[in-house]
Amino acid sequence: MEADNIIEMLHITKEFPGIVANDDITLQLRRGEIHALLGENGAGKSTLMSVLFGLYQPEAGQIRKNGQVVKIQNPNDATALGIGMVHQHFKLIDVFTVLDNIILGAETTKLGFLQKKAAREKVQALSERYGLKVDLDAKVEDITVGMQQRVEILKMLYRDNEILIFDEPTAVLTPQEIEELMETMKSFAKEGKSILFISHKLNEIMAVADRVTVLRKGKCVGTIQTKDTDKQALSNMMVGRPVQLEVQKTPAKPGKTVLEVQGLRVVDRIHKRDAVRDVSFNVREGEIVCIAGIDGNGQSELVYGLTGLERVSAGTVKLCGQDISRATIHHRSGNMSHIPEDRHKHGLVLDFTLEQNMVLQRFREKRFQNAGFINKGAVRSYTQALIRQYDVRSGQGPVTVVRSMSGGNQQKAIIARELDRENPLIVAVQPTRGLDVGAIEYIHQQLVEERDKGRGVLLVSLELDEVMSLSDRILVMYGGEIVGELDPKKTTVEELGLYMAGAKRMTKGGRAQ
Amino acid sequence: MKEKLSDLYAKDGTKTVLASVLSILIGLAMGSLIILVVGLANPNLGISGAWDGIRLTFAGIFSTGRDAAGALTFGFNSTNLGNMLFRATPLILTGLSVAVAFKTGLFNIGAPGQYLMGTAATLVIALSIPSGTMPGVMVWLLAFLGGTLAGALWGCIPGLVKAFLNINEVLACIMTNWIAANLVTWIFDGSKFRNLVENTKSGYIYKTTYALTQVDGVWTYVDGKGVSTAKMGLDKIFPGSQVNGGILIAIAIAILIYILMSKTTLGYQLKACGANRHAARYAGIADRRNIVLSMAIAGALSGAAAALYYLSSNTEFFWSTYQSLPATGFNGIPVALLAASNPIAVIFTGCFMSMLDIVGLQLTNLTAYNEYITDVIIAIIVYLSAFSLMIKLFLTGRKKRRAQAPVSESGGAQGAPAPEDGTRQEGGGQA
Ligand SMILES: Nc1ncnc2c1ncn2[C@@H]1O[C@H](COP(=O)(O)OP(=O)(O)OP(=O)(O)O)[C@@H](O)[C@H]1O
Ligand SMILES: [Mg+2]
Repeated sequence: MEADNIIEMLHITKEFPGIVANDDITLQLRRGEIHALLGENGAGKSTLMSVLFGLYQPEAGQIRKNGQVVKIQNPNDATALGIGMVHQHFKLIDVFTVLDNIILGAETTKLGFLQKKAAREKVQALSERYGLKVDLDAKVEDITVGMQQRVEILKMLYRDNEILIFDEPTAVLTPQEIEELMETMKSFAKEGKSILFISHKLNEIMAVADRVTVLRKGKCVGTIQTKDTDKQALSNMMVGRPVQLEVQKTPAKPGKTVLEVQGLRVVDRIHKRDAVRDVSFNVREGEIVCIAGIDGNGQSELVYGLTGLERVSAGTVKLCGQDISRATIHHRSGNMSHIPEDRHKHGLVLDFTLEQNMVLQRFREKRFQNAGFINKGAVRSYTQALIRQYDVRSGQGPVTVVRSMSGGNQQKAIIARELDRENPLIVAVQPTRGLDVGAIEYIHQQLVEERDKGRGVLLVSLELDEVMSLSDRILVMYGGEIVGELDPKKTTVEELGLYMAGAKRMTKGGRAQ
Repeated sequence: MKEKLSDLYAKDGTKTVLASVLSILIGLAMGSLIILVVGLANPNLGISGAWDGIRLTFAGIFSTGRDAAGALTFGFNSTNLGNMLFRATPLILTGLSVAVAFKTGLFNIGAPGQYLMGTAATLVIALSIPSGTMPGVMVWLLAFLGGTLAGALWGCIPGLVKAFLNINEVLACIMTNWIAANLVTWIFDGSKFRNLVENTKSGYIYKTTYALTQVDGVWTYVDGKGVSTAKMGLDKIFPGSQVNGGILIAIAIAILIYILMSKTTLGYQLKACGANRHAARYAGIADRRNIVLSMAIAGALSGAAAALYYLSSNTEFFWSTYQSLPATGFNGIPVALLAASNPIAVIFTGCFMSMLDIVGLQLTNLTAYNEYITDVIIAIIVYLSAFSLMIKLFLTGRKKRRAQAPVSESGGAQGAPAPEDGTRQEGGGQA
């Protein structure tokens, strides 16, 4: 029996300096199916999809559409073949409006003039039909990540693509948005569109995918039906060893207060209103305190205020007994590690090498410099040690340009740098975003270990699983305020959800209302 | 051996050099073409005149005039080579000025203004100190440092505006350029620094070889009492030329800048701010301070360019500058572009640009062409230097195609130049 394959990628090999990113990979996509692609960070998933989208030319192998060999030399060829892609890191022009971004490159013109009215109608129709709500006249820089993603999806639909590639679409979404996206993907499949879907979240794969192909270190491990497998089996298959999906930890033994926040206010610079309103809490040595909440309820601004990226407009922040509310970032980072929310904006200098990025805060230390001259040898060996310890994979080790690393490995590099600074306080915002299950297991272990060494950890996470399993104490933020303090052992996901949605809140005394 | 060669070719640096060399060659070739066309159109020149012009374009620096039979002769020409080094001195420094800014993510189009401020400070200092008050070396040093500092301060202005008000440095630079042009005219207009001794030259400022000297109880400017840059033996190597120790100072500064940018923590910070200001800030690097500092260093280099040029004893400053900006400042841009902002390469591209000047002179002196033809060549090369990145991509694509040739059974051989050396597609979307 011949399966109805719309796309076949046969024996694809793609090399980069120092690494074979795709090694003889064969992938068959059937018409109307949702096909998941699973693999560790750096396994070659994005590379394989970029080959299909015409961004890279493979050294060997061929691509067939409907049984015909096709050549895809650039994204325009891909578009002509009906292939569209939503990238791991979006490709939108910040200062353009949503509508302009959607039609860019596929504009209809009359005598050289843009025909925007027709385009607008088409986009509006698509957006209504699939429930993809966007504000067509807003500038991309002003909209949420979730909406940016809907813009990317509309871009594909606008071009009438029938093969849709989603590279880690859910990594940046809130649980609600993920639900919506899953529904949208299912409705696409029902209409006969074929979908390639990369994700590290096994729940999602089990929920929407028909089949899943697993990659490991550039090689194809196999393709299986999701109905014949389960999460544990999948994760073992991709990592090559049994993975602990639950966090192992003993009860916390909190000590002295590390971070003390009193009446903090931070202004949101774009919307000119208080994004953090009169927030007070503390973090003690040896505990993991988690800030939970739906994205956009002031968590980001709270972290900006604590870490010094944004000025606080009122209140005090004490770190290790010292008032740091007005201190410089440099001063704060002597006692505070910060895994930032946006790894490309804040976390990394993408055009620097890995080793240059590893000493971004520490280059002034004695061991890394000598009378103002950088001690290259010390930086190199330090980076090598971190690479080994945290399993940061890249083509050329310490001298790899960070831009060329896979998304998950970029994240691992930041975590390695921040945890190794051994500060009494660790502020971690979505630390496991984009990591594979093996790496998540390792990072969770590390955070628990840091806690047990007596460090205070302030974790900001949108993922309820992570919140429930990792934290010792949960603070829920809603509308810029802390509306509840919960004990993960005594609460339920449902109760947490009520607080996050603002349906329930505690009074100052701590009683629920 | 073949192995080694292809390794070398694969290196990024090699491609950069090749791209620059290609832009230069294409520029020269197109210049030759123009010379040919002009020659054929002009009965005074004809094909033989054109051939002379083309030979001079490529090898004018080694021209030694014409022999008795009227044919062009070539050989070691100490005057040409020395003058080339002399003219390269300020170009290397303004080139460095632009290059340092590029490396730190800024476009310093303010070099002309910084150069003018450097000129004014150097001249005012050198001409204000009466002869005999201090040793000549001290006067020279004060004038040099004063010019450098003036450039640095002038460079600070766009830096500050960018760092604190987030106004694009290009706009601020253009404005400060014209402010400098008017300011300098105003400083010298009616001042005692105007050259009134040689009365044909009232549009010019005294050379620094003049100094205030008391003659019969009256303070007047006397030639030979002032200062000038030491020759450092270069006049022995290049007799008959204007060269002086300035070129050695410029080369030393280029090496210092190279060390500063690639070996020190300061250079690391400056580059981090240029590559990603947000990440630098996140890491506790003072981003604002570094932006100002980058522009100050850039400005200092342009100021030093002016100081060395006007302390050379054979240059005079035409003080009424309010209508024009010094070309040396702008020419720093192609010098830096051709050098791909590498401080060491700037030494060579600076020399190359000044060589074209000399070629222009040779064309004027020895043929019926005029020097403006070399301006055309320079213009072409400037355009191409901006394209050198594209040429580099083209070179990368060619390499790829060759590498793919063996696996072409299914016809996948003609890969488009994939944008992959360092410019990964995935990155930088949102930032
Ligand atoms: N443009 C490039 N230049 C050099 N190396 C690259 C480039 N793109 C990818 N690589 C390397 O190829 C390997 C595979 O990268 P890829 O982005 O495909 O991984 P991935 O499976 O998508 O991982 P992740 O889950 O972390 O996103 C990585 O080791 C990466 O360093
Ligand atoms: Mg990826």
